[in-house]
Amino acid sequence: MTSTWITTRAWLLMLPLLIVMVAIIGWPLVDTVRLSFTDAKLVGTEGSFVGLDNYVKILSGSNFQRTLITTFWFAVLSVSAEMVIGVLAALLLNQQFYGRSILRALMILPWALPTVVNATLWRLIYNPEYGALNAMLMQFGLIDAYRSWLGEPGTALASLIVADCWKNFPLVALIALAALQAVPRDITAASMVDGAGAWSRFRFVIMPYLAGPLMVALVLRTIEAFKVFDIIWVMTRGGPANSTRTLSILVYQEAFSFQRAGSGASLALIVTLLVTVLAVAYAALIRKSAGVS
Amino acid sequence: MSALELINVRKRYGAVETLKGIDLSLASGEFLVLLGPSGCGKSTLLNIIAGLAEATDGDVRIGDRSVTGVHPKDRDIAMVFQSYALYPNMSVARNIGFGLEMRNVPAAERTEAVQKAAKILQIENLLGRKPSELSGGQRQRVAIGRALVRDPQIFLFDEPLSNLDAKLRMEMRTELKRLHQMLGTTIVYVTHDQIEAMTLATRIAVMRDGQIEQLATPDEIYNRPATRYVAGFVGSPPMNMLDATVADGIAHIDGSLSGIPLPQALRENAASARDVIIGIRPESLTLASSEDAGLAIEAKVEVVELTGPELVVTSTIGSQRLTASLPPRSQIAVGASQRFNIDPSALHIFDKATGKRV
Repeated sequence: MTSTWITTRAWLLMLPLLIVMVAIIGWPLVDTVRLSFTDAKLVGTEGSFVGLDNYVKILSGSNFQRTLITTFWFAVLSVSAEMVIGVLAALLLNQQFYGRSILRALMILPWALPTVVNATLWRLIYNPEYGALNAMLMQFGLIDAYRSWLGEPGTALASLIVADCWKNFPLVALIALAALQAVPRDITAASMVDGAGAWSRFRFVIMPYLAGPLMVALVLRTIEAFKVFDIIWVMTRGGPANSTRTLSILVYQEAFSFQRAGSGASLALIVTLLVTVLAVAYAALIRKSAGVS
Repeated sequence: MSALELINVRKRYGAVETLKGIDLSLASGEFLVLLGPSGCGKSTLLNIIAGLAEATDGDVRIGDRSVTGVHPKDRDIAMVFQSYALYPNMSVARNIGFGLEMRNVPAAERTEAVQKAAKILQIENLLGRKPSELSGGQRQRVAIGRALVRDPQIFLFDEPLSNLDAKLRMEMRTELKRLHQMLGTTIVYVTHDQIEAMTLATRIAVMRDGQIEQLATPDEIYNRPATRYVAGFVGSPPMNMLDATVADGIAHIDGSLSGIPLPQALRENAASARDVIIGIRPESLTLASSEDAGLAIEAKVEVVELTGPELVVTSTIGSQRLTASLPPRSQIAVGASQRFNIDPSALHIFDKATGKRV
């Protein structure tokens, strides 16, 4: 069998999938690029060519900048917290204790729940009239009166970050736990004999084994956090006073709430570009760290 | 003062007792080898000495203090692991100096100590490399360097040569012996390799099922094994163990027509034990011509194997097997009957019921 035939056959076998991909990903992407240079509305008008107008308006508008900052904080804070809590949970679950297997299984639960369920659950916890958080804080004497955690611009984003963290730290913990189990027992024993305390052991001996897998978790979670939509949409719809509006919410509002398909498309492309830059930067980082070890 | 003392050390995992009361005392500068098959408890014992496992009962004393409950880092020990256990992200120099770094030894002093250890182990040119860039033998040297640099009271070795190929293992064995002679350190060394044990140890503790079967010098272990188990474990090819009955100072080997008159010394001891095991090392057998008088035994030759330095002859006496290690040029006919001379001073007699030396 010639190699040309093997190559041809491979392409032939992939062809149906390629057709589907072009139809559901390729064509909409090309059409989005086209739309982004028009002032098309969602219904009614096809729109006319407006050049870079949409991009200029978006990039110079305060809406976009404010939303970008909100998204940035959401991503940085939630991912950082998830990494720290995830690694701590993994270290705990890597110890020998009674009931460890049950706890390991339970830990996955928040991550396994659909985001909408998780978001609804947290809305109940944060509820200003009968929420568990208010009740707990009152009973501990930390607040004087029930508060609307999701209704105040000062606390809404932080509340969302907590909910997002609770949902996603298990993924980090799972990856870290798998990495921890790959640390040879002899190496930790050697470091104990060498006199390394718990912190030194973690920093010098265990961390090098965790770094690679954690980098993967970091990449995945950062990209997801930048694209976050569902948890925010269910809990606050970007409010109050746009204090929890992230880029994906902005794209949705622009395209579907305000029905501006043209500028919605250009906004979507900007978000895509940002996420691509992040993905490429992290991929380079992963390659670098893999090369080092 | 003993460098190491173990007093009735026991270890239990649930219902299973892996160490059944180990008592042992080690003088400073001794090289003790814990020898035994997998699962005999030797590594568990080493881990208990290191503090990586806690004894269920008993006491471990290093120098003049009890170290029960003391963290490994505070026991003044260093350990070399079977897998080398080098830190993969650190250079060789940092690997060696890590123990000192953790003890806040100043950098200059540390560098000097690392250089000194590297010189002794002839790895000065490797100090800048990562463990992944080293061969197995080089890694093992680094692991030894890491222990050496600490200058501890006791060095612990957990099967350190098992991962090396045969040639390298021999080289490193000599190297370890040289190091011990040069530095006069106290060493506890775990292995299942009897050659390592015989060549390195000043004393060997042969272990079986969580107990020390015999603790003695290599010479004594080889020439005066306390039990049938020790006799069978040490020596290659292993000692021949022949079922026999003693009557009137003559041992009748099952399946053999003639009896072996026992030497006077053995005759008195063996008088009370009628059913015995006669132990004969393969190298104590020599070829006998039919006219030779004295202690001889006749067997049917089945297989002849030339290993190079010796000819290993496997033959049978009735249903019992007899192996002899002969000079390589010995003339042996496969299938024929052959008489072997026995050196009477090399006869070992064990009680069949208890396995103990008679």
